[in-house]
Amino acid sequence: MTATLPPPLEDDPIQLDAPTTFQLARAFVGVALAGIGGGIPAHTRRAMLGRGWLSDAEFAEAFTLAQLTPGPNGVNLAAMVGARLGGKRGALASTLGVLTPGLIAMTAVTILLLGLPGGLPPVLQSALRGAACAALAVMLTMVGPIVRVGWSVKAGRLPVGAAVTVLTFVALGVLRLDLLPVLAVLVGVGLVAHRPTKETHGNA
Amino acid sequence: MATPELLLDLFLTFVRLGLTGFGGTNLAEMERLLVGQRGWIDARTFANGFALGQLMPGPNLLAVTHYGLVIAGGWGAAAATIGFYGPTAVLSAAAALLWKRHSAHPWSLTFRDALLPFGGGVMLAGVLVLGQTSIHSWAAAALAAITFVILRRSRLNSALVVVGAAVVGALIGL
Repeated sequence: MTATLPPPLEDDPIQLDAPTTFQLARAFVGVALAGIGGGIPAHTRRAMLGRGWLSDAEFAEAFTLAQLTPGPNGVNLAAMVGARLGGKRGALASTLGVLTPGLIAMTAVTILLLGLPGGLPPVLQSALRGAACAALAVMLTMVGPIVRVGWSVKAGRLPVGAAVTVLTFVALGVLRLDLLPVLAVLVGVGLVAHRPTKETHGNA
Repeated sequence: MATPELLLDLFLTFVRLGLTGFGGTNLAEMERLLVGQRGWIDARTFANGFALGQLMPGPNLLAVTHYGLVIAGGWGAAAATIGFYGPTAVLSAAAALLWKRHSAHPWSLTFRDALLPFGGGVMLAGVLVLGQTSIHSWAAAALAAITFVILRRSRLNSALVVVGAAVVGALIGL
């Protein structure tokens, strides 16, 4: 099965330096402030790994789960990481943390702009485009580590992980297919390829 | 002024938009509902709200707060925001807690091994889509490349890098 991944957390060795609810809220306010122009998942990774609260493999797991629940990924990811590190209160703290700065800023800017005829001034449009370039760069810094974790998943000797990664990319990015059918087929393939056998029952 | 009926309709519409935004956001569906079907905002407000959401600290879709505020004032903003983010956040937290409890089960390992490569592919697809929407010139490509190198080489706070790129964008009229 997985040659390079550590086993999933049994009962949390990470508990030793688990963050408090307040620390989680503060960390996610920081993530939100860094996430001007997008890339919340990438900033979340930087924040969690930097504090030693999650490993790359654990983050990849949370990121993937966050993709599977409906709704905005950045907020889902905050709720998941918060729940994992601090239970229900952690989830609430992280979600509010990641949303609050933007809510305040967006409300203020909207009230200002409502009095402004003609929408966004050109200089602000240009600034938005510049921020979007940096947002792409932030996302690129995350791609390597995340893709590597899935890529290295093998079924016996078959590089199933690499094949599924490429096929998912082509189906969703190039062909722009609907996510749900692609998910059903490719995750289905993975479930069959990695189904538990007697040996894995023994050591799981 | 916003009537309770409008607020309820707004709330339920955003609940639906949040829950149908699988693997990202269904922008097309959002535009169809808000601009087309309900006629709550015009196309320009829709586009501006989205662009503003990109520049706000936090998730891109803070545009929903903007739409709610434009449509029905403060209570509208609250209805749209809570409707959009609330149910999906609760679902995610519940999924994470379930996962944590059952992660030693053999089928959980199977599930994880099946999902991780899929997650990697989703991320690569997201990079492609984001690149196609934000890189329209050599200057933009260069700016993205330079910020990438800066992020890799330094421990600089990424917010500073993003704000810096926004300033550069404004200065060169990107």
